[in-house]
Amino acid sequence: MKLYSLSIFHKGATKSHLLKSAYDLSSFSFFQRSSVQEFMTFTSALIVERSAQGSRASVKEQEYLCHVYVRNDSLSAVVIADSEYPQRVAFTLLEKVLEEFSRQVDSIDWPSGNPDTINYKALDMHLAKYQNPREADAMSKVQAELDETKIILHNTMESLLERGEKLDDLVQKSEHLGNQSKAFYKTARKQN
Amino acid sequence: VKDVVIKPEAPSVLLLDKHADYIAAYGSKKDDYEYTLSEYLRVSGIYWGLTVMDLMGQLTRMNQQEITDFIKSCQHDCGGVSASIGHDPHLLYTLSAVQILSLYGTVDVLDVDRVVQYVGGLQQEDGSFAGDKWGEIDTRFSFCAVATLSLLGKLDAINLNKAVEFVLSCMNFDGGFGCRPGSESHAGQIYCCAGFLSLTGQLHQINADLLGWWLCERQLPSGGLNGRPEKLPDVCYSWWVLASLKIIGRIHWIDKAKLRSFILACQDEETGGFADRPGDMVDPFHTLFGVAGLSLLGDEQIKEVNPVLCMPEEVLDKLGLHPDLLS
Amino acid sequence: EVDVLVQRVVKDINNAFKRNPNIDEIGLIPCPEARYNRSPIVLVENKLGVESWCVKFLLPYVHNKLLRYRQRKQWLDREALVDITCTLLLLNPDFTTAWNVRKELLQCGALSPQRDLYLGKLALTKFPKSPETWIHRRWVLKQVVRECSPPETDRKEQNGGEQRDAAERTWLSERLHRVLYDEMKVCADAAGRYPSNYNAWSHRIWVLQYMAQGDLKVLHDELSSMRQWVSMHVSDHSGFHYRQFLLKALVKELSQAPISSPPPKDCRPSPDPRCHQAHLSEQVNGEATVAAPGSPPPSPEEKPSLPAVPQLFQQEMDLCTDLIQSFPGHEALWCHRRHVFYLWHHW
Ligand SMILES: CC(C)=CCC/C(C)=C/CC/C(C)=C/CC/C(C)=C/COP(=O)(O)OP(=O)(O)O
Repeated sequence: MKLYSLSIFHKGATKSHLLKSAYDLSSFSFFQRSSVQEFMTFTSALIVERSAQGSRASVKEQEYLCHVYVRNDSLSAVVIADSEYPQRVAFTLLEKVLEEFSRQVDSIDWPSGNPDTINYKALDMHLAKYQNPREADAMSKVQAELDETKIILHNTMESLLERGEKLDDLVQKSEHLGNQSKAFYKTARKQN
Repeated sequence: VKDVVIKPEAPSVLLLDKHADYIAAYGSKKDDYEYTLSEYLRVSGIYWGLTVMDLMGQLTRMNQQEITDFIKSCQHDCGGVSASIGHDPHLLYTLSAVQILSLYGTVDVLDVDRVVQYVGGLQQEDGSFAGDKWGEIDTRFSFCAVATLSLLGKLDAINLNKAVEFVLSCMNFDGGFGCRPGSESHAGQIYCCAGFLSLTGQLHQINADLLGWWLCERQLPSGGLNGRPEKLPDVCYSWWVLASLKIIGRIHWIDKAKLRSFILACQDEETGGFADRPGDMVDPFHTLFGVAGLSLLGDEQIKEVNPVLCMPEEVLDKLGLHPDLLS
Repeated sequence: EVDVLVQRVVKDINNAFKRNPNIDEIGLIPCPEARYNRSPIVLVENKLGVESWCVKFLLPYVHNKLLRYRQRKQWLDREALVDITCTLLLLNPDFTTAWNVRKELLQCGALSPQRDLYLGKLALTKFPKSPETWIHRRWVLKQVVRECSPPETDRKEQNGGEQRDAAERTWLSERLHRVLYDEMKVCADAAGRYPSNYNAWSHRIWVLQYMAQGDLKVLHDELSSMRQWVSMHVSDHSGFHYRQFLLKALVKELSQAPISSPPPKDCRPSPDPRCHQAHLSEQVNGEATVAAPGSPPPSPEEKPSLPAVPQLFQQEMDLCTDLIQSFPGHEALWCHRRHVFYLWHHW
């Protein structure tokens, strides 16, 4: 089981933007890591944009699961994991990270912040610690609280898109994805 | 559960004409990069293409002369057949070559005596078979050996008792079989071993209820079948699992309608052909096993397929070959 | 023009290996178009990358070249063959005939087994399932094992010769041990790259059967190091099957040999420093009490204490219960439970 990325966003009126992120891409082949990282950020941002305030959701994309939590105050976090990683531990992590972040970073800075200006350093540590869900605390503690909140499950990224909207188009249009990443996306699709 | 979700717009009717066009065109882009990449298994590739064409009643669209000449030029002095010209002989391609020529009823294109000698020469003291002169052992090769010899009517050229003994030594506690003694059960290897035991008249050695249970547990909520626990479904396992169930007389243990809709969803409506999973790239391998799987499920637009040799039943009728099945 | 380009690329690849003997991964760099005045071969941090645009020229070139040689239409010297097959197999490792050409080169001494094991290891970083790469490894390992078992006949020599013999036997058995542990690492890496990697795990079983038959210590080290692995890969049916294999083999050995018997003779410490890690992780997971390969050799009186069979089963059931509770809904865990229970029941 593996956690690949953990990122914090602020959800604006139409777009969401990245405040901070951490990655563990060691299991990907070396030359793919930069593209994979761009895609994980792109996907995470998209999911935050398409999720309502005060919601939790898990989105399945190939063999990955993207867990998202958007708080009522628009602060959001996404963790991308493999399908083995226990869902409820992923949500515990999101909850905890956002809680800590909102205590350490003034909410005035959220709407305009970016990874360079935001001073919050614990993300890498959390990502590393939660790689082994049994060593990370609270396997059971938060469970009770979470059971009451509904987690929406999307079986594909497409189900987050609007009618007529296509993932391929969004990828091609994205300014955040480099040419190499777009080429990588094309070859990664439709292969087994 | 690791599985796929079939989209509502996925194909749900069988597109036979498209598949025939796809296969007919496949061999015509010979300078294609992908074609070069797969040359190391060409003779098997031809077997997949021809068999699926025959099952769809379209064999005549393939160039028999060209294919036969090619197969002939792949036979080596040792008797074995290689994947292509300039490659090394191997049991895998020897079986495919014999299957191809059996479809045409012209096995004599090969030097049959030498083929028999080649196969016999690969049997080891413990009854197992090496795939080629370099000595790799695998139950797949036991199957290739007896399937080749059965098609040639020469099963007596090897030590059958020993061969059976080795395959049985690869049986596991879950009723399945692996590639060698002690190896994990795998649907592909199970197919080979069940087929082997059918051709050698030893199906009673299988614990059919136990193995049948393991096999039918391969079906996932999408309807597709995987090859081992917690793996994704794949159209080729529709064949390996379903054919094994058919051989041991337990095919009614799976949900046929759901499997059918999974297989149909793996078609590519534009290009024709089947992929491993819905939305992936098609290839001749998955196209054969998709169509052959549908035949086992009783689709009447397709010729009846034999579950042991994966060839049209009518071809085997002509050879008088009727491998055992459990009831 | 294409020929010139491709020849240069083949050369670039082989030079990269000469320049850096520590390359540990190969990969394709998605790049649809050539950037002229720049080689498509990239070497960063011990990783060798090939820009994707050049593969469609490169592969057919080396492919055709090898086949022309095989059909005796073109002569290639040994060095050229080594280079061509290397490039070809890194791009298309299931090209059986290319591995066979290397087997022949190995037989005539033009290639060393180490070099081929290394090539295969690299190919597996990009193609962790490649059946032909695993098959070739088994053949090469058989050659290594053969080299490492000195012929029985030269034993009868004078005293000095005997001493030399003993030293050499130690050296050979240590070498074999190193090869074994390196092989386990190759299997583990490939298993991490592709879930339930049948070929990687059945190879690992073959290695134990062929190179460490009945070696209690090796079996035990494997069981111990696998504990952490399966706990982090709870849906990997093959990983659990491997544990079942180890348990079965251990139970068989423990039931046959009385525990007080001395450890098998090739239970030699491996000088490989990485093995110390096995020692550490073992203390972390607190399973086995047996010494790890990196620890000092046990003196005759302090024998490693191996857990008894019932204890082994109990520990395995506990692990299984624990995992099922922490990670509900995994078929692989229930299959494992069923198998362990079966082994226990039939013990
Ligand atoms: C006449 C016919 C139809 C076949 C000839 C006989 C042969 C060679 C059958 C091959 C059967 C087969 C598929 C064996 C399994 C090989 C194997 C161990 C594959 C490893 O698979 P995984 O590592 O599970 O890969 P996937 O995840 O892709 O399934």
